[in-house]
Amino acid sequence: MQTLHRVRADHPHSTPRLRLVDEKRGVATGPCGNMLIVSDDLAQGIGSSVVSDSVVVAAGEEWVADLNDPGPAGHEAQAKLHHLILRATRHQVWRLRDQVVAASAGELEDLAQQAASDAMVAVLGKLETFEGRSKFSTWVFKFGVFHAGVAVRRQAWRYREVTLPDTLDPVDLGAAPEAHAQGSDLARAVRRAIAEDLTPHQRKIALALLVEEVPIDVLAERLDTNRNALYKTLHDARRRLRESLMASGHLDQPAQGSAS
Amino acid sequence: MNTNGHDLPQTLLDKLLLDTSPYLSCDECFERLDRYAERVVADPQHADLPMQVHLNACGACAEEAETLIDLLSGRG
Repeated sequence: MQTLHRVRADHPHSTPRLRLVDEKRGVATGPCGNMLIVSDDLAQGIGSSVVSDSVVVAAGEEWVADLNDPGPAGHEAQAKLHHLILRATRHQVWRLRDQVVAASAGELEDLAQQAASDAMVAVLGKLETFEGRSKFSTWVFKFGVFHAGVAVRRQAWRYREVTLPDTLDPVDLGAAPEAHAQGSDLARAVRRAIAEDLTPHQRKIALALLVEEVPIDVLAERLDTNRNALYKTLHDARRRLRESLMASGHLDQPAQGSAS
Repeated sequence: MNTNGHDLPQTLLDKLLLDTSPYLSCDECFERLDRYAERVVADPQHADLPMQVHLNACGACAEEAETLIDLLSGRG
């Protein structure tokens, strides 16, 4: 690992600028516009008075500084970036291939390539937010994994209708008896709480995600919203259900001082 | 087997009543995921309660975390 340092490059009260600095070539305008990153040697040369907290990049990742270079170095850096992303998208598509059982090997590769293109745009658009808290390759991988996961789930649900149930219908009881909370007071109380204590929106979202098992990003796309909004709705719905069941004595109260 | 229409699979009850506090949004999970994955690979016992609660409650984010950890572990 090579330690790079953030350096305040302008007036102390203005927004710091970030550049990636290549040891061999000196200061180069990099993709990260908020701070200045320099190598150990150069940081020592600049002097400790301007060096603030440090950022760590792995050895061999210095090419990141070239990503915005319009010349051959930039093209080479972008090819390296695409290679990293494609490695992540192919891995994620392969792991999730059971969700798209009808897809051929060529179609899986198309999914990985398309996801890599989407992830490439996302990474290049967010380079300024990379703060060196992980290896650059790890940070890049997560974009590839994210976009590949979205691509697979959307493909899997492409021709499936998404329903938004208003009620919790009787559940298929085909599984082993011990898998059920049979006719229990708790099950009755949960049904009542879903019907009476959730808002219509909370009820639809919770049932679509947990009973219909619609993937959260698929549901977000169909409802023209986002994952954050749906997860928050589900979080609030679960809290209401637990509060209702605690009030009726079906669930124990949380221990004092636990997070809420 | 009781089939009076009040039955619910235990797994569904568990999902409906899951305590997802402390709250962490999907965006916050994504923001922290790279660092979290590196720490888990370095130390499988690494504990990060907000991340673990979120990953236990959000299937999509959990899939992404598992794949990233897989990649960093040299299985990708």
